[in-house]
Amino acid sequence: MPLRQSFHHITRAGRWVFSKPKNEVCSRNFSNSIPVLNSALRRSSLFDAEKEKQRQAVGRIEKIEVDVVSDFGNELLIMNKDLSTPYDCTKHISKFVGQTAVVALVDSNQPWDMHRPLSEACSLQFLKTTDKNPWIPNNVFWRSCSFMLGAVVTEAFRDDISVILHSFPSPNIQSGSFVLDAYIGLESWIPAPEELRQLSKEMIKLSERELPFERLSVTQEVAEEMFSDNPYKINHISKIFGNHNEVVIYRVGNHVDISRGPMMSHTGLIGRCTIASTHYLKEDQLYRFQGVALPKGHKLNHYAYGILEKRAMLLNSHMIPSEASLSYEPTPEYATEAKEVSN
Amino acid sequence: MRLNKPTPLRPLIHYAELSKLVSRLKIPVHWHVKKLRRGDVPGPEGRLLKLRASVTALFKYERIEMDYYPADEARGYAERLISEAVRNGPQCPETMEMADWWLEEKQLVHKLFKVLVPRYQNYPTSYTNFYRAPFWYFSDGFQPQLNEEYPDKEINETIPAFRTVSYPKGLLELKGNPYPPIFPSKVTNPRSIQNVLLSSAKDFYKSKEGGSERLSNAESGRGIEFVPNEPKSDENLIESSK
Repeated sequence: MPLRQSFHHITRAGRWVFSKPKNEVCSRNFSNSIPVLNSALRRSSLFDAEKEKQRQAVGRIEKIEVDVVSDFGNELLIMNKDLSTPYDCTKHISKFVGQTAVVALVDSNQPWDMHRPLSEACSLQFLKTTDKNPWIPNNVFWRSCSFMLGAVVTEAFRDDISVILHSFPSPNIQSGSFVLDAYIGLESWIPAPEELRQLSKEMIKLSERELPFERLSVTQEVAEEMFSDNPYKINHISKIFGNHNEVVIYRVGNHVDISRGPMMSHTGLIGRCTIASTHYLKEDQLYRFQGVALPKGHKLNHYAYGILEKRAMLLNSHMIPSEASLSYEPTPEYATEAKEVSN
Repeated sequence: MRLNKPTPLRPLIHYAELSKLVSRLKIPVHWHVKKLRRGDVPGPEGRLLKLRASVTALFKYERIEMDYYPADEARGYAERLISEAVRNGPQCPETMEMADWWLEEKQLVHKLFKVLVPRYQNYPTSYTNFYRAPFWYFSDGFQPQLNEEYPDKEINETIPAFRTVSYPKGLLELKGNPYPPIFPSKVTNPRSIQNVLLSSAKDFYKSKEGGSERLSNAESGRGIEFVPNEPKSDENLIESSK
């Protein structure tokens, strides 16, 4: 290795250490991308407008009592109704809790996003992946990884290659990988190892920015206006509004997508991440991106992590769109927890 | 020129009698007094003033990171103060005077007698933990210096403290503090995400080897329903790992 090289030229993603890539397809830098008024930015500005509108609609501020339950005892906080989030509650407890909590648990049965305003008096717990039973935070983490992969995939390709996100299935950790399905305007693309590493690197870069997952539930008109350039999403939205009267959308940076949620607190909770493979799904004409990740602070040796990576290279057949639509209507990840239509 | 100083003589005290006066500390105390870096005030007084600041910080924050040898010295005084407080209580004027001098902030005297004494009432061990701490952290933006004189050396060989003056660092903490532990607990949790991934990978490869048509969780097409407090799915998970 030439030794004059400084560490800026070396990057680590997954278990690889490599110098700066010279790629063919994945050439754009996610964090330093030039702001063009593309569809992602348009969606993001719509999201901003809708968020501001919902904030204005709160009106007179009322107070609610929030009982924070933890191992070190309970704490009673007086918070603002429809404004204060569980993350705001952590500011009264400790910075450490706010940084490490993945998701909150309201009234000890309902998972609640860290950045979603609380609507009534409740008891609150903060869940971490290091808990005794980390089942909820693990699933939330896995879902958030799929979401972040969507953000990376939309940004990573060259501008002349069209990328249309299809969906990601509900989190299934036992399937060995988190999954994202997307249409890529490339014929018979078999990604080079460097391209996959570049995607892994973009995931790590996104995680280093520690962006919050913002949540909003919107009406059909707003959702359709946002995703007007995405025929798959339009289809999904119309399916969702058959059963529900709201749809939940999330935003990370400029990336907006539909998901039932809940999502984790911020992107910085990913410690180690590998995008292992992509597979072409012939029937759907989609590419399936697969990856494996571990939360920050979880240690695993290289050999064991290599086993997980190898498994993630095989096709994960969990809810392939064309097969899943036969048995599931609509796809579970898109179902919302909003109120059912009363009539 | 450096002259060898005569080693100080041990004072002629019968230790059996001494232990009636003060409690025996539960930590190893080195006889040889370490030289500390000079502060604003010279001499033994300045030394005590520096140590007092460290002891106060320890009682205030319960976990401090500082130079190794001052921390080692301060640890002894902190142990002595707590053991006296546990033994004599706030009624003893000598103990109160000692606490008043060593703790610069008065609310810490209250903390000593109202919080720490109940905490350490039945401790069979010492009241503090002491660790060696690293000189530098990558998370602080430490950039290893490249060794330009020996360009043939590997990068990793040049990392440890090349051309940097680094005093040994120590980490001193009161036991029973509310912070997360310094070393993670070694208790394995079969439900942690690594273990779930590894056990499901094991199942997957086993089912492939046997050639049986048993569907793994991945292939059964069934996602985990997001229902908390449902023990069934977790039980299945553990059974599958056996």
